[in-house]
Amino acid sequence: MISAKVEEYAFGGLVAAVGVFTLVDATTIVARDDNAVGPRAFPYAVGVLLVVTGIAAIIATARGKLGHAEEAEDVDENVRTDWLTVAKLVAVLVVHLVLIDVVGWPVAAALLFFGAAWSLGAVWWRALVIAVVLAVVVQVVFAYGLGLSLPAGIFEGVPFLDG
Amino acid sequence: MDSITALLEGFATAAQPEFLLYALLGVTLGTAVGVLPGIGPAMTVALLLPLTYTLEPTAALIIFAGIYYGGMYGGSTTSILLNTPGESASIVTALEGNKMAKAGRGAAALATAAIGSFVAGTIATILLTLLAPTIADVAVQLGPADYVALMVVAFTTVAALLGSSPLRGLASLGLGLFIGLVGTDTLTGQQRFTLGVSTMADGIDVVVVAVGVFAVGEALYVASRLRHGPIEVIPVGGRWNTREFWSRSWKPWLRGTFIGFPIGTVPAGGADVSTFLSYGAEKKLSKRPEEFGKGAIEGVAGPEAANNAAAAGVLVPLLTLGLPTTATAAVIVAAFQSYGIQPGPLLFTNNSTMVWALIASLYIGNVMLLVLNLPLVKIWVKVLQIPRPYLYAGILLFAALGTYAVNFVVDDLIVLLVIGVIGFFMRRHGYPVAPLVVGLILGPMAEEQVRRTLQISEGDFSALVTSPFAAVAYGILIVLLTVAVVLRVRRRKSEVTV
Repeated sequence: MISAKVEEYAFGGLVAAVGVFTLVDATTIVARDDNAVGPRAFPYAVGVLLVVTGIAAIIATARGKLGHAEEAEDVDENVRTDWLTVAKLVAVLVVHLVLIDVVGWPVAAALLFFGAAWSLGAVWWRALVIAVVLAVVVQVVFAYGLGLSLPAGIFEGVPFLDG
Repeated sequence: MDSITALLEGFATAAQPEFLLYALLGVTLGTAVGVLPGIGPAMTVALLLPLTYTLEPTAALIIFAGIYYGGMYGGSTTSILLNTPGESASIVTALEGNKMAKAGRGAAALATAAIGSFVAGTIATILLTLLAPTIADVAVQLGPADYVALMVVAFTTVAALLGSSPLRGLASLGLGLFIGLVGTDTLTGQQRFTLGVSTMADGIDVVVVAVGVFAVGEALYVASRLRHGPIEVIPVGGRWNTREFWSRSWKPWLRGTFIGFPIGTVPAGGADVSTFLSYGAEKKLSKRPEEFGKGAIEGVAGPEAANNAAAAGVLVPLLTLGLPTTATAAVIVAAFQSYGIQPGPLLFTNNSTMVWALIASLYIGNVMLLVLNLPLVKIWVKVLQIPRPYLYAGILLFAALGTYAVNFVVDDLIVLLVIGVIGFFMRRHGYPVAPLVVGLILGPMAEEQVRRTLQISEGDFSALVTSPFAAVAYGILIVLLTVAVVLRVRRRKSEVTV
């Protein structure tokens, strides 16, 4: 339970910090008109809202009022947080966005699907087959069906894959 | 009478084979995302936004409306047949529907949900047809101060009145408002909060935020506590087309409709409130209250009807005022804006053909949904059994694809990931995500209206409250807040004494 409290403090702190940033950065906005409300007023209001709710969330946490984690069909409330899987998924997304410009969308997308499905417990070879099929189908549909070409990368010039 | 003619013309447009196909595509996708855990209509509409830029606006909006209605139908199938609670709007259905399914009366539960949704959806769409043009006529006369009042009401109800923690709702709203601030100020043309990054000058795209918070946030959250093991789907049993079925269902359907529609219409709703009220009403009026909690069909029929009627009700402020009161409605407003159309009172004069084709497609979509969800329900049972690793991997893939397809820049994917991680922590700690999306879409509109009000009044702040309409709106809001606080205090007291 200690870690849940730490996280709540951190999130409340983050909200308040975004608020402080809003308030500070808003002072750099140039306001010219004298009588009407300029481009600063609304950011100030948003900043105040964030600072107040962020601090209130910290106080609520200190008084032991923690938030209730959301319920969902596929969520098992009785198991402990599986941080490793969350980290793997984040890593897979990072790899995907780094690789798009290097090897092209189809390969990056296949790796994203394969990595995510595998991290979540799928059989590796089945995940790999579905990943490759899915990436190729989407690439072809985009190029020929929607007329939007995703970067083909290493498949540049290959018929069908390079739109 | 004018609106009847206009509606008939709308039917003429919507009944063209091309538009019928788009409607079918929309309701099928909608039912699928309603059935599947982990994705909802808001995220699906957001994902499809970049892909539909090549379509004409009417076609795209018909698809989105189909997804919106379809999501409401699909959710009930999941909550009746899956052993775990479902999407918030259908949790009440799960109370009785799940019990019915376990007792071998699954067919009756599914049928009363589908037919009830159809009856409520159709009646509510008729009410929308009759009311919307009249409200639009009145709304044309509203000034900027009145819009500010409506938005303040919407902000407060979405963030603070719904959901279990008003504080966390307001914090979520604040984050959404902040994201909405990033970019170029429309009135003075200067950049705000862009940190000097050039891609931020156009602001953070609504698609990226909605997909990040709904798809990536949800996928990470589910992954952190994934329910392992086989997916337990209750087999569909029993007969439904019996005299008892109809005699016990028809009154709850109608009552649910007339509870749901008004609640959807005023910016104090969301489908959940209406389902709880309908459930309570059915329990109170039932001749067999002892059956509630053990599988009473009235407890499925009423809330399901209320749920769909509320969904149609939400379209009233959306189309006539441009005011979204749910996350999905907010994303649909963004869809309108991406086509350069501002939903609001002028929609019925400036884009009359489009809006009536859209309304006509709602009638058609409801008929399609009845077919998809009654005789064809077995297909969705199969969809429900997709192994979760592939489902969530697919959600992540399409989230990344949809985001990348907005501008074809990798920077958007970085923003997607950051917002996804924020959405993950919000779910862990009970911060609702809907206020964030509503704040993001309504925030810039609210700022513009506030500044216009004060420009007209030359800086006199009292102009914000002196218009009669605005004064009444703030008055109602104060009453609502007082009632909410009293109820909360009472509940706390009763918890203490118990």
